[in-house]
Amino acid sequence: MGLVLEAWADVWSRRRLIRYLVAADLKKKGRDTLFGNVWWILDPLLQMVVYVVLVSIIFRRSEEDYALFIFAAILPWKWFSSAIGDAITSVSGQDRLIKQVQFPKIVLPVAAILAGVGQFAFGMIPLAALLVLLYADRISPMLVLIPLVAMVQLVFTLALGVLAAALNVFFRDIGNLSRHALRLWFYLSPALYGAAVIDTIAGSHRFVAGLIRLNPFYAILNAYRSVIYEGVAPDWIALWGVLAISIVFLLAAIWFFKRVEPMFAKVL
Amino acid sequence: MTSIEVPAAGTTRLPAIEVRGLGVRYSLRLTRKNTLRSSLAQFVRRDRGGHFWALREVSFSVVHGESLAVIGPNGAGKSTLLQSLAGIIQPTEGEIGIRGRLSSLLTLGAGFDQELSGRENILLAGAFLGIDDGEIQRRMEDIIAFADIGQFIDAAIKTYSSGMRARLGFAIATSVDPDILLLDEVLATGDQVFRAKSKERVLELAKGAKAIVLVTHDMHWVTEFCNRAILIEQGHVIAEGQPEEIVRLHEARSEEARRGATAPGTAAPGT
Repeated sequence: MGLVLEAWADVWSRRRLIRYLVAADLKKKGRDTLFGNVWWILDPLLQMVVYVVLVSIIFRRSEEDYALFIFAAILPWKWFSSAIGDAITSVSGQDRLIKQVQFPKIVLPVAAILAGVGQFAFGMIPLAALLVLLYADRISPMLVLIPLVAMVQLVFTLALGVLAAALNVFFRDIGNLSRHALRLWFYLSPALYGAAVIDTIAGSHRFVAGLIRLNPFYAILNAYRSVIYEGVAPDWIALWGVLAISIVFLLAAIWFFKRVEPMFAKVL
Repeated sequence: MTSIEVPAAGTTRLPAIEVRGLGVRYSLRLTRKNTLRSSLAQFVRRDRGGHFWALREVSFSVVHGESLAVIGPNGAGKSTLLQSLAGIIQPTEGEIGIRGRLSSLLTLGAGFDQELSGRENILLAGAFLGIDDGEIQRRMEDIIAFADIGQFIDAAIKTYSSGMRARLGFAIATSVDPDILLLDEVLATGDQVFRAKSKERVLELAKGAKAIVLVTHDMHWVTEFCNRAILIEQGHVIAEGQPEEIVRLHEARSEEARRGATAPGTAAPGT
């Protein structure tokens, strides 16, 4: 517990460093390309188009208003997967700095993940456009709950990101592994399909269906879908459950990170 | 320690740096570039990988106003020593006592973000070094002037020459008025003009009752400007004393090592 408090002091005392790192990250991501930050809006929309073509035209398996149905899941998932990807390399990518300057390393994954929040916030623009232009009848007051669901997701993302950042210092395979793991995770989460499909899976593959339901993104994506697509309140019990587990996971991840932090400068 | 000429008179004689019995051990298992496969293989073979002492039984102290040169062949543990003093690496054994504000200027510009401008990098570097925001803002113009970057200060660092990068790094690290300054092979960077300027700056810092630890292969710097030197070989302090003496000893020993280089097991000669 002492280590966790120490980590909190690290983050708090270096909040300005985190702010600079986040600002630098957002700036860089916007600067690389011709359209800059416009890509944060286009990216999820184009991905949505790909899945609409694939699922509703080729596989003929779509739900009603399928574009919005999957957009409500693509947006948070893109945030999660890119934040985890950035967090994994956040420490090992700063090897030169870590060997030269003494600073609390936990700021690196934290900044990488917080930068993703900015991207997610940008995603609200195409979401609003989609709702207003195409699905005006689905607009509901439940939309104000999006930040709450996002908070739960943020806690879980921080936990996994901090853990993965520390592990990647020792095992560089984490980076390679994560790409495939994240892709499988996406398909095992109710993003492209709804709860009904999982019930069908449960008939033949009990294990896979169980895995899908245990996965924190089962509750998180369902919650997004409830508030964005269905206009109903999320399953509070499931959501609070994920939050509680994520908090415990986060404390454990921070503890682990602080525990191995003194070795970073030697190993990198 | 024995009597040493201290340039600034009347300053406190309590050592700024006190190192006692310092040892730093590297685990060879961890420093190898690991993959899960090799780790599993090691686990199965119960291979603990062994250890390597980069430094062992190192003791010395530096008082305020002193500048200590650390010399020795490549791989002797000089950089590990600086990293330990800077708190980047935890000692495996022994103690390090630091009195005062410490600034480390190891290889310059390590923390620079290529995509950001010079000005943004000054802010970022200041935040990494833990310098107060107001302080870095106040010193901004001084840093830019000293580094002599001119109008490029608002261009991305990736467009800078290596000399410009080094100058900017030096200007940031020496802008903070540290009580203790750690320098690693930085004085040889830049052109003649900047070299003279940085030398002046370092001398100025030394005069202001600051302690300096300098790692360099440039023996002129050692004799000209340090008032004490230690020679490190294979992680042990071989000798300590007047710079001229230590440089002579180091040159004699590396000459010897060069001659014996064909024999197996000898240390790599310093360059």
